[in-house]
Amino acid sequence: MTVPVARKLQSAAAFWRQSAQAMLPLIFVVLCVLSLAVGAGGLGPEGLLRPTSEQLLILTASRLPRLAALVLTGVGLAVSGVLLQLILRNRFAEPATTGGMEAAKLGILCAITVLPASGPLLRMGFAIAFCLAASLFFVALLQRLRFQDTILVPVIGLMFGGILGAIAEFFALSQNNLQSMQSWMLGDFSRVVQGNYELIYLILPVVLLTYVFAQRFTLAAMGRDLAESLGLRYRRMVLLALLLVSATVSASVITVGTVPFVGLVVPNLVAIWHGDNLRQTLPAVALTGAVLLLACDIFGRVVIYPYEVPIGLTVGAIGGLIFLLLILRVRR
Amino acid sequence: MRFGLILLLLAMLALAYVLWGGAVPPEFILQRRLLRLGAMVAGGCCIALSSILFQTVARNRILTPAVMGYEAVYLLFQALLILAFGAESLRTLGAAGNMVLSVLVMLGWSVGLHVCLLRRRGTDISLLLLAGLVLTLVITSFTQFVQLRISPGEFAIFQSFAQMSFDGITGVQLALAAMAVCFPAALLVRRMAVLDVVAMGREQALSLGVDHGRETALILGLIALLTAASTSLIGPSVFMGVFVANIAYQLAGSHHHRRTLPIGCLIAVAAALLAELLVQHLFQFATSVGLLINLTCGIYFLLLILRKRSVS
Repeated sequence: MTVPVARKLQSAAAFWRQSAQAMLPLIFVVLCVLSLAVGAGGLGPEGLLRPTSEQLLILTASRLPRLAALVLTGVGLAVSGVLLQLILRNRFAEPATTGGMEAAKLGILCAITVLPASGPLLRMGFAIAFCLAASLFFVALLQRLRFQDTILVPVIGLMFGGILGAIAEFFALSQNNLQSMQSWMLGDFSRVVQGNYELIYLILPVVLLTYVFAQRFTLAAMGRDLAESLGLRYRRMVLLALLLVSATVSASVITVGTVPFVGLVVPNLVAIWHGDNLRQTLPAVALTGAVLLLACDIFGRVVIYPYEVPIGLTVGAIGGLIFLLLILRVRR
Repeated sequence: MRFGLILLLLAMLALAYVLWGGAVPPEFILQRRLLRLGAMVAGGCCIALSSILFQTVARNRILTPAVMGYEAVYLLFQALLILAFGAESLRTLGAAGNMVLSVLVMLGWSVGLHVCLLRRRGTDISLLLLAGLVLTLVITSFTQFVQLRISPGEFAIFQSFAQMSFDGITGVQLALAAMAVCFPAALLVRRMAVLDVVAMGREQALSLGVDHGRETALILGLIALLTAASTSLIGPSVFMGVFVANIAYQLAGSHHHRRTLPIGCLIAVAAALLAELLVQHLFQFATSVGLLINLTCGIYFLLLILRKRSVS
């Protein structure tokens, strides 16, 4: 390829990227409408605007809760990914590569075994506690490493998650509910109906709090010494960030299961376009997270229509692919 | 000296394992125990060799080849096999047939990974690690999906693949695994010094006249073979490699592969024997060997990171 052609292609790519950013809110709205319309009982434009009573039931009992859960999970996971990446100062950190999701799973399992009659609130309490403890432990672990090889951090995180997973498996094996545990661990929005997903709204205040503290998290990402010399209470900020992440992860794991890669891919994509100032990037991160999940969910719903592919699978495949491309691109 | 001591200890453990707690038809029990012992020796040697070699190439003491996705691929393959053909497939295929197929699949995976990633960019190990990591996540979510589709009975069968275990291994499998160990071992015996040079890093190796790229490719190939053999023989061994390799470095008192490789093999076998003895006589089968090894080695791994301030 000759140089001028390559340059032209580059500028064309830049143009598309810019317009894609401008289009992001529009894409989001379109995907939301599509998400409401697509499903085993399809709703046309007529059904969306003037629904019959039956269609109204479909909308309020299933489609709208599902849409809310999708958007909130996407936003929450993307935001917790960016928070973890700032706090750990590593581009490859996200709830699935820092042991957070496994810890939440272990917490839920613990709640089920110890208190079989526990309600969802108590289970979530367990999940948050376990997740927070694991994240704190992981941060402490990393601080003891003198050389922070960028790739080493997610490797250690995955192995850490593996240990937590082994413990969870041990529990599940003794209780003989291993397969059911696997089933609710794979992210799946088809179970989201009115009445069993409301915990996910916890993500709303979490995102608001993240926005309020965004500047300080950005400061914390500059490293402990610099942040403290600028007057930041570093330890408190780390604790707050991890608490926010734990709440998000627990809420999403308990309502829809694990959804990998959103926290990994979205912040990296946004950072390529907008940099790392959280106050400025947070809306883009949140919107991109929601768009990614919505797109993957709609894809999973139509690809073997009228059945569904769980979103854990579609996000796993699509997110993994995007991430591999990102790595190769950065390396070049 | 140390080598002899460890060998003696190992022999004692093996004797204790084979002879402790005989029951009514001793020949049957003896035969089964000898088979398990064989599985421990073959599997342990595979794990030890592959992890030490991998740590040499990656120049990092807390990694195992498992991060390259071999085990994830193995589990996905088993799950797909069960999904597509049901539990019957395992009977028609036979244990040995399944093993050969799994090894081929994992070797194919390794070739694909290396060719795709390393063809143009030389031997960039960290790129390989990162890609392996991401693909492991992807493949695991596929496996989870397949797991949902199979019936609980078949899931129990799948679970027996997903757990490390020395049970129910046939003589044919053992022979295959032994071949898979002996071939790399024979190659390595003449290359111990080269391995020591490769461990010093690319620049040093080149200045000492070792073709670093070619040697790395060869070692990665051997690692693929060894990992494929151990995984298809005894199942995923996630942390055991880290444990074995680091204990071997400590006991060997040097980083010469001439010492660490054989000692690593002995330690791997001894650890497996110890776990099996503990499960049989102390825990009375309340837990499984795989879980015990996994948990112990996992905790050791965390301690290793906490204690060693620099691991890379």
